[in-house]
Amino acid sequence: MDWHQERTAREARLERARPHADGKIVPAARVVDLLEAILQPGDRVCLEGDNQKQADCLARGLSACDPSRVHDLHMVQSGIVLPEHLDIFEQGIARRLDYSYSGPQGGRIARMLYGGQIELGAVHTYLELFARYFVDLTPNVALIAGVSADRDGNLYTGPNTEDTPTVVEATAFKNGVVVAQVNEVVDRVPRVDIPGDRIDFVVEADRPFYVEPLFTRDPAAVTETQILMAMMAIKGIYAEYGIRRLNHGIGFGTAAIELLLPTYAERLGLKGRIATHWALNPHPSLIPAIESGWVKQIHCFGSEVGMDRYIRARPDVFFTGSDGSLRSNRAFCQTAGLYACDLFIGSTLQIDLQGHSSTVTTNRVAGFGGAPNMGSDPHGRRHPSDTWMKAGREAGGTGDPALRRGRKLVVQLVETFGDKLVPTFVERLDALELARKLDLELAPVMVYADDVTHIVTEEGIANLLLCRTLDEREQAIRGVAGYTDVGRGRDHAEVERLRARGVIRRPEDLGIEPLDADRSLLAARSIKDLVHWSGGLYEPPAKFRNW
Amino acid sequence: MDWKPVALSTAPLDQSWYEASARARLAGLLDADTFEEFIGPAQRMMSPHLPLFELPRAFDDGMIVGRGRLDGRDVLVAAQEGRFMGGAFGEIHGAKLVGLLRAALAVKPAALLILFDTGGVRLQEANAGETAIAEIMRAIAVTRAAGIPVIGLIGGRAGCYGGGGLIAGTCAHLVISEGGRLSVSGPEVIETNRGAEEFDSRDRALVWRTMGGKHRRLIGAADAFVDDTIGAFRAAALAAIPTAPTFDLASLEAEQARLEARLARFGDAQDATEIWGRLGVNDPAAVPGLTTEAFDTLLDSLPERPHHAR
Repeated sequence: MDWHQERTAREARLERARPHADGKIVPAARVVDLLEAILQPGDRVCLEGDNQKQADCLARGLSACDPSRVHDLHMVQSGIVLPEHLDIFEQGIARRLDYSYSGPQGGRIARMLYGGQIELGAVHTYLELFARYFVDLTPNVALIAGVSADRDGNLYTGPNTEDTPTVVEATAFKNGVVVAQVNEVVDRVPRVDIPGDRIDFVVEADRPFYVEPLFTRDPAAVTETQILMAMMAIKGIYAEYGIRRLNHGIGFGTAAIELLLPTYAERLGLKGRIATHWALNPHPSLIPAIESGWVKQIHCFGSEVGMDRYIRARPDVFFTGSDGSLRSNRAFCQTAGLYACDLFIGSTLQIDLQGHSSTVTTNRVAGFGGAPNMGSDPHGRRHPSDTWMKAGREAGGTGDPALRRGRKLVVQLVETFGDKLVPTFVERLDALELARKLDLELAPVMVYADDVTHIVTEEGIANLLLCRTLDEREQAIRGVAGYTDVGRGRDHAEVERLRARGVIRRPEDLGIEPLDADRSLLAARSIKDLVHWSGGLYEPPAKFRNW
Repeated sequence: MDWKPVALSTAPLDQSWYEASARARLAGLLDADTFEEFIGPAQRMMSPHLPLFELPRAFDDGMIVGRGRLDGRDVLVAAQEGRFMGGAFGEIHGAKLVGLLRAALAVKPAALLILFDTGGVRLQEANAGETAIAEIMRAIAVTRAAGIPVIGLIGGRAGCYGGGGLIAGTCAHLVISEGGRLSVSGPEVIETNRGAEEFDSRDRALVWRTMGGKHRRLIGAADAFVDDTIGAFRAAALAAIPTAPTFDLASLEAEQARLEARLARFGDAQDATEIWGRLGVNDPAAVPGLTTEAFDTLLDSLPERPHHAR
């Protein structure tokens, strides 16, 4: 019995590749040769692309490979972001796909799925995909990105560490081959994020890897409706449950909350009582709250373009390495968001009558990102907190109170009508139609109804924990769905009964005057204000600069 | 460097000009409770053209005119509401300003202030709008010739574009903030006509570097650069009244000569930073990041002051 077949295969791959490398170093011009030497038809490949950092030089290389030599690959990666990530399916280089997120390529991936050009495994949550790297989706080859490497392959990932440690762990320790693209080869890396013995080849990229500023929300675009919803969330949820440990989505509604902490929330006397510990990317819109002393610490999934100098200057708040720069880690931060945060609040495109939500529409399959892991109630949690226990009590139950678990707060913060006045509330999710057309066993649902605890719209807050029947739940959702068809279909008497019980709360029930929702409440009203708040340390990317 | 975080103050004069509505700007700019509106919203003087296009109208047609006091002095004021149709000039909108300018001859105010916030002429009533632009420019000439300074304040979301840019060129004095933009053709118009290689309208830094307040101040198109607060605009308007230039043949000829010289000197420049370099700015790339105070210091240190004849 040969117990070393994988290792032998790995040695053969390395042997074929060596002529194209000088030690471990491969010039950008030889990428295609290198990849054609390493890859075999049918390989499982992780082409590192997450929602920010992209191994773009290797992606271009892969898409330039000869499909007669490299074909039928099974791509297992968290993000489908670059055009090349889909080009390789059109070219026949890749055939099967397991992934998590496809924001900017959402429209094209939908067309290709319908056209049968992609054989879809599943759309995963991040932690789920990472978990499968170690069970049944272990990559044969990982193509990753870092800032710099030395000639031994010691890798500095820079602030955007993101998925890299997880991908490398699964590949390098299971007889796979790891190729890293770096912006430069140096004598000594600033810090070792990945030890060199886990890296087989280092490609000196022709240009620095691409990073998308995905988490920058321009305060100038925050609307008064979003401010009103943020005021309701702060007063009706953050204050009532005393939420200290939390994660925010990336929408403008949550950006408004961040910008109201030093102003509106400060006036409510909430400083130190809410929003102190975060699992969050370094959102520029959180700078005023950090500078005002609201935030104790933040662990990050990745970094954000322009935030590096600021983060270096605030090591008490952020996790930083011996070199001073941010150390992020998506797997750990997702775990932190899942198990150690008491609240997730985010936005979505569609919510149905039970509270299921999805960002999938019939012509866009955007995937999930971080929301489904953090927006779920972790049954593996065993430590209490006042927030968690209070939510658990509201959810009710029978038997000995000491045997009742708490509940994580999962809040959907949505305007009743989204972009182009498309209603957010629907009778039936488009995801179901997509599942039917593509013959999927499981509809791509972002947050399941039984995980959602609150829905906040400009009309009010629906507390689903307090609903005791499916009927109450439906009326609670209709009761905050505004003038959408779902909202107009409400039973007015039942909605008023729910309001009397505090299941539905309007701004006036919370002591909030909608006319007070004014942009002057924002601690920063422009990107430039954020730069000022940061003491000039935040360096916004050009597309956000209007000076 | 000592940066001051944005004011968390709720005092009216500390509020952002850029963020404020036209009415809020007027309320903060003038002495408290002195604003008296002419043809206010209650009179429902609205566009006769917009219903043809099934477009919503505004009771004031996006133009607010009236009188008030500025540090005790009587002034006439006109403010455009950039949030209604981008502050664009239509028939009523323009007529209200023409009427105000003509009234100035009888009222003889210490100054007439125009709070610009406009993308130019309203396409749905373009003929009436273009006519209004011409009438306004003529009326400004007459008003200024009568010794009444017409002062423009530019710092709104819509900037000051199209016919608004032409009108601004006839004012005695222009005050601008960093967020303010002053030009005739807007970024999208240039890109549509000449291509993204000529002007990439999505490159916001390029837009502001080319049309924004600092550049306009440096080349003498604007006479004062101020912080984005209602208080700063008020102070600059007050300071402008006694110093506004006269309006006669000599001043017009001087202005013509200045513009010809400017074109000869900078006409071949490919980017605003080149112009700033030629003006003696040592580090042009740093200009956009300067605070108002540092920018004023820079202006003082230049070999030549921005010269504006008007």
